[in-house]
Amino acid sequence: MDAEPGLSEQYRMASPWPLFIALGIPIAELGILFSLFPIAVGGLLLFGGSVAGMATESGYAKTPWRGLIGVAAPLAVLGLAFMFTRIGLPNRGLAIVAAAVILVAAGVAGMLFSPDREPTY
Amino acid sequence: MEVNGQLALTVLMGLFLVAVAAWLARVENWRSYTPVAGGGAFGQKDSYGSEEKPSGVIRWLTTVDHKDIGILYGAYGLIAFAVGGLMVVVMRIELIDPGMSLISNTFYNSLLTSHGITMLFLFGTPIIAAFSNYLVPLLIGADDMAFPRINAIAFWLLPPAALLIWAGFFPLPDVIPAQTAWTMYTPLSTGAGAGNQANAGVDLMLLGLHLSGVSATMGAINFIATIFTERGDDVSWANLDIFSWTILTQSGLILFAFPLLGSAIVMLLFDRNFGTAFFSGEGGAILWQHLFWFFGHPEVYILVLPPMGIVSYVIPRFSGRRLFGFKFVVYSTLAIGVLSFGVWAHHMFATGMDPRLRASFMAVSLAIAIPSAVKTFNWITTMWNGRVRLTTPMLFSVGFVSNFIIGGVTGVFLASIPVDLVLHDTYYVVGHFHYVVMGAIAFAGFSGLYYWFPLYTGRMYQKTLGKAHFWLSMIGTNITFFAMILLGYGGMPRRYATFLPQFATLHQLATVGALLLLVGQIIFVWNFVQSWLEGPEIEDGDPWNLRQSGLYTAEWDWFDQKQQTAIADGGDPDDETALTDGGHVDEPADDRSDA
Amino acid sequence: MANKIFDRDTLLDLTVNVVPLFIIAFFVVAFAVLSPFGIDPLASSIQFGLLAVPFVLLAILTYFAGRAVAGSEQSGEVYLPGQAGVRGAKPLEEDHGPAAIDPESTDDAPEVEGDGEDDADGDAEDDADGDAEDDADGDAEDDADTKDA
Repeated sequence: MDAEPGLSEQYRMASPWPLFIALGIPIAELGILFSLFPIAVGGLLLFGGSVAGMATESGYAKTPWRGLIGVAAPLAVLGLAFMFTRIGLPNRGLAIVAAAVILVAAGVAGMLFSPDREPTY
Repeated sequence: MEVNGQLALTVLMGLFLVAVAAWLARVENWRSYTPVAGGGAFGQKDSYGSEEKPSGVIRWLTTVDHKDIGILYGAYGLIAFAVGGLMVVVMRIELIDPGMSLISNTFYNSLLTSHGITMLFLFGTPIIAAFSNYLVPLLIGADDMAFPRINAIAFWLLPPAALLIWAGFFPLPDVIPAQTAWTMYTPLSTGAGAGNQANAGVDLMLLGLHLSGVSATMGAINFIATIFTERGDDVSWANLDIFSWTILTQSGLILFAFPLLGSAIVMLLFDRNFGTAFFSGEGGAILWQHLFWFFGHPEVYILVLPPMGIVSYVIPRFSGRRLFGFKFVVYSTLAIGVLSFGVWAHHMFATGMDPRLRASFMAVSLAIAIPSAVKTFNWITTMWNGRVRLTTPMLFSVGFVSNFIIGGVTGVFLASIPVDLVLHDTYYVVGHFHYVVMGAIAFAGFSGLYYWFPLYTGRMYQKTLGKAHFWLSMIGTNITFFAMILLGYGGMPRRYATFLPQFATLHQLATVGALLLLVGQIIFVWNFVQSWLEGPEIEDGDPWNLRQSGLYTAEWDWFDQKQQTAIADGGDPDDETALTDGGHVDEPADDRSDA
Repeated sequence: MANKIFDRDTLLDLTVNVVPLFIIAFFVVAFAVLSPFGIDPLASSIQFGLLAVPFVLLAILTYFAGRAVAGSEQSGEVYLPGQAGVRGAKPLEEDHGPAAIDPESTDDAPEVEGDGEDDADGDAEDDADGDAEDDADGDAEDDADTKDA
């Protein structure tokens, strides 16, 4: 217990992201399962955005932008597989791909247009 | 209509995302927030916790502190326990009468399904996670869990899981509750045939179950990483406490069992919605059973090992001696962990599988009884000649041992193929596993809730009410579930909403027991809530007098530090304390019982 | 190396897992000798596999767990489980009773709180004696218990 007193002082006790990651997963699952296009896209965006945000917050990335693209890549693969392989679920695949595209667009836009500022932590 | 619906959904989803983004942008300010590096006394983060966390509801929504998450898990588990308990009260009242009287048979089936899933996945696993999240980092000297944010994600997956599992009971158009029983046997659960189980309610339930599995897996990875890598300098494997050992083993089991359940559920969902035929074709039913029980039997030990750890932890504290044969308990925990994966088909003895395979499963099932029995003997020997203090947590622990013996011995008989073929699918099985899940697992949960009540609330519960809770639960449990064992001997099949009149007396007896349980739990809720809000405050870090017998442990030491720090800071400006008991806690029960 | 770590006490502790191993081994032999349902290539190999796999895995896990626990007993201080993090905790010494807590720290806990107040006052004085007796018993009965608990 009394070992290493220094570490905990840097340690943040609150983060807004986990809640939204956890919300994004079921929303996306519901949307994909019941083929509800906007729900699926929205859930995936919530999930992907929160993952990128959390990676930034916890210091794994300096900005969230590349994280967005990183999340988008496997989604794109999954979505394309849904659309063009024997799985044969084109609508759902389209939703996943759409979410991936939006995530990539957000990531690229962020990289291009966000003001260069030092992370404040 | 179709287009309008899509449009409305899109707008709603967009608004929701914008709201989330706006909210996140507002809390962005946190980013610039750095905790005061003031070197809080003893390096305890809690010494300045209130400044560091946001306040109000936001604190609970955003916390990544293992103690807060533990409390969230606990609150969640108890709410689920209440829901599942009230469901079964309705079922038991229906069973007073042989025919269909209070509720329809289909509604009975829905309640039966939800009761099982709620108790196992929404109460059992989370209430254990409550203890492990709060205590394991304290016990092993870690600052927090290895992955605090993943810890928070794991918790926040659970409320949506509960909503999905219960979705069928909500007034949604065209959605009915699942009636598949918690085992979700195919082909019924694939929606085949003329029944109504092709309904979306079943899909929602499966999704919720899947989410709870994801949550449990995330938590398990976190605990394994924490216990392996975050132990304090002095906490070696030889010093690791028994509760952390059981959590480590449980996490290993979760890691191998829950992903399998998740995969099987996804396959089932594919069968239901996308026209695959994993479980609807020939051999599909038996395939589901194998997959399900390969998860399902380890799940039993996932649920029982940490409660065993709690009991192994609590009994020595109130026996005034160390746990007898500590290492026996540790190694037998590990043995249960391994062997639990080799017994799954003892749930399937009646499926007509090859008798050679059946014999092997019987052999391993008998072998796994040994480690459990070893633990039982260790608990008894620990109490033997000890200075036993029958406090409420100790009573619940002793109740655990008692009920576990009945539940365990009935289980050994079921592990024997010839006996199982007679008793399969009767109330004997129901009685057996309820002795374990209610009589043992829930009892250990209560034991832990009472034992650490001062730790997480800073207050003491009401002693008399605690004992009333214990005795009502103990008597209620034994009346209810022993009646079920007798019903099973009589041949009463399980899962039915109606029964032959010859079983009426025992069913009525079981209902009386269930109502006793209900009264006991109402007392518990009252005691728990009222004591948390206005119980006498604990002012010293050793409310159970463990130092005297040399059994003081790390979590109370942490609590003691916290208390001292709070006093040094001027403490909480809480005037109630003085009014309540003059700042001294001697007879909490007497103070409160007339309130 | 292995023999050094697996001394007599550790082996005694590990007997608890030898019992289920023995039961499984017993059934392996029994099914091989008696084979009441005959031998079929597929079914019989699954039958013995179902026994052999848990047997092997349990043996491996027991070995590594025993090595980890006994190894850290030799390389570091041994405390009562759950007590390593307590301020002022003293490591257990081999073949010695408890009193793992610094006696000074007990001084600031005079108040009796909670459920156990009925007998606590009376027992407080008896504690030292009671424990000594208990542990003497434990030592006499079970060597293994002394070191680990």
